[in-house]
Amino acid sequence: MIKKESVMYSLRNLKNRKTRSFLTLFSIMMGIMMIFVFVSFGLGLYNYIENISTSSSANKIFIQPKGIGGIGLDTTFSFSEDDLKAVQRTSGVYDASGIYFKTVEVKQDKKLSYTYLIAYDPVKPLLIELFNLGIFKGRELKPGDRGVVLGYNYLVSDKIFPKPYSVNQNIEINGQKFKIVGFYESIGNPTDDSQIYISNDMMKEIFGENISYNWIVADADISKIDKVVDDITKNLRRERGIEEGKEDFFAQTYEDMIASYSSILQIVVGFIILIALISIFVSAVNTANTMGTSVLERTKEIGIIKSVGGTNAEIFGIFLFESAFLGFVGGVIGVLFGFGLTSIGARILEIVGYNFLSPYYSFWLFFGCVAFAVVTGAISGVAPAIKATKVRPINALRYE
Amino acid sequence: MKKEGVIIQLKNVERHYHIGENIVRAVDRINITVNRGDFVAVMGPSGSGKSTAMYLIGSLDIPTHGHIFLDGYDISVLGESDLAQIRGRNIGFIFQQFNLIPTLTVKENITLPMSLQGISKEVMEERAKKILEKLELTDRAEHYPNQISGGQQQRVAIARALANDPEVILADEPTGNLDSKTGERVMDVLKKLNKEGKTIVMVTHDHDLAYQYADIVYWLKDGKIEKVSKRK
Repeated sequence: MIKKESVMYSLRNLKNRKTRSFLTLFSIMMGIMMIFVFVSFGLGLYNYIENISTSSSANKIFIQPKGIGGIGLDTTFSFSEDDLKAVQRTSGVYDASGIYFKTVEVKQDKKLSYTYLIAYDPVKPLLIELFNLGIFKGRELKPGDRGVVLGYNYLVSDKIFPKPYSVNQNIEINGQKFKIVGFYESIGNPTDDSQIYISNDMMKEIFGENISYNWIVADADISKIDKVVDDITKNLRRERGIEEGKEDFFAQTYEDMIASYSSILQIVVGFIILIALISIFVSAVNTANTMGTSVLERTKEIGIIKSVGGTNAEIFGIFLFESAFLGFVGGVIGVLFGFGLTSIGARILEIVGYNFLSPYYSFWLFFGCVAFAVVTGAISGVAPAIKATKVRPINALRYE
Repeated sequence: MKKEGVIIQLKNVERHYHIGENIVRAVDRINITVNRGDFVAVMGPSGSGKSTAMYLIGSLDIPTHGHIFLDGYDISVLGESDLAQIRGRNIGFIFQQFNLIPTLTVKENITLPMSLQGISKEVMEERAKKILEKLELTDRAEHYPNQISGGQQQRVAIARALANDPEVILADEPTGNLDSKTGERVMDVLKKLNKEGKTIVMVTHDHDLAYQYADIVYWLKDGKIEKVSKRK
């Protein structure tokens, strides 16, 4: 075990070489900070995705057009009432419901805002079940309801409009006034939290009977859900007169959809962490260089320690301790800065409405980052420490 | 209180160095025997091999040929870890350049060899206190080497050499970097230690110093022993 005097000796050496120690610490700190930031946000996103994919969404199938435009913007494709019936007819489908999307103009006094008006069948609120949306204030839509349920951001002043709305107030949509019956809880991003929900019947009343569905959500038998997806695809193809492979729509389970997001997220987070690892590698090279120089500078001192009884193991320990200590301090500072940075980042994202992008902290993240820094530091110090043990006392003591 | 018996023995010791294609025989078949409690001086001009001989005795270097016995153990065949133990326990070094660790205080320099032997903190503190008193360094205990004079630094080096109470003290030109008055004080300390029973091997090129303090003087020239003088 490394002795107290040796530890003092190591620490004072690091202190005496302030600039070099600082620069080494800085490079370790930057690398660890980057890893902390990316991993905490990455974990936060994974958690978010995990949370939206709940048990109530496991049996849901999502049918949407293959298009490139955003929701409601792709006017080249939509589902008809017959398409919906084709889905409902499919064996293993318990129920299916069509969803409308329209871009609408919302007005408060003289201020205008554009958002999505989403309509679903209050008898079969599959979309709401799918997103696991709960009511924050007021109530859900009822069959035959003429009112609207608003996204969470309408409750907050200066988020969408200067004045917040409340239940039983009216809101002006496309020039018509609607009574607010409730508010959904926050989803975590400004687009979703500013949507307005209405019943299918009301949607038809505003936009005419001929409007068609943008999405279809189906509730299916979970035990053979993959087969149900295939059958829905087959039935819809037949209904729409499309050859296999030329589908202008696609059906997938909600779980698959989330899994595909997850895998994309994994690639992105993995790539970013790879960049952070490269910076750690650079800092490791830097630490090795610092320690190598330190060994050269202290050749005589190594000789002195050996002459007073220091074994090679002790010398090795001294240099390994120094590099691991640099790693430890760099790691702790990196984690603290990373925590500070992610906290500020999360606050900013929350203010702009992206609170689903929030970092996830755990003991293992803090511990892991510091441990990683210590291990990297120690590994960087191995070669210089071995070099130090090779110093021959006779040469060292004659070394000027 | 002189103890009896041989403590250091060099038998046909050679140390060669390769410089380019040439072999330099820094020490060439020397035989030295040191009894317990002796004060031995190794004299010679620069390049005579006297420092090499001292480093060999102190196990800081390994002979090319021959054997070195320290307290009965053949140190020429031991591994690095055992040699480190011997250096720590049985030998105390004093160098011309003092060779203190600049980042440690006087006291820490003295406790370093004890710490390397795994001695407890309490014992270290007590021993350091006694050694500091003995060498009149108590008021300099918390100073760093660059804050004290050359003479004091050499006394710290002696104090460090005494840390583990070794039987043998090896001194390489201990007064070489000191003025004559300070040097004399350092030599008086070494003489006192010798009287207390320590075996001292001192390398010097100072003829007067060797004859004034040593019982036996080995004269080295070109790596060989040229003459051995004994005090009558």
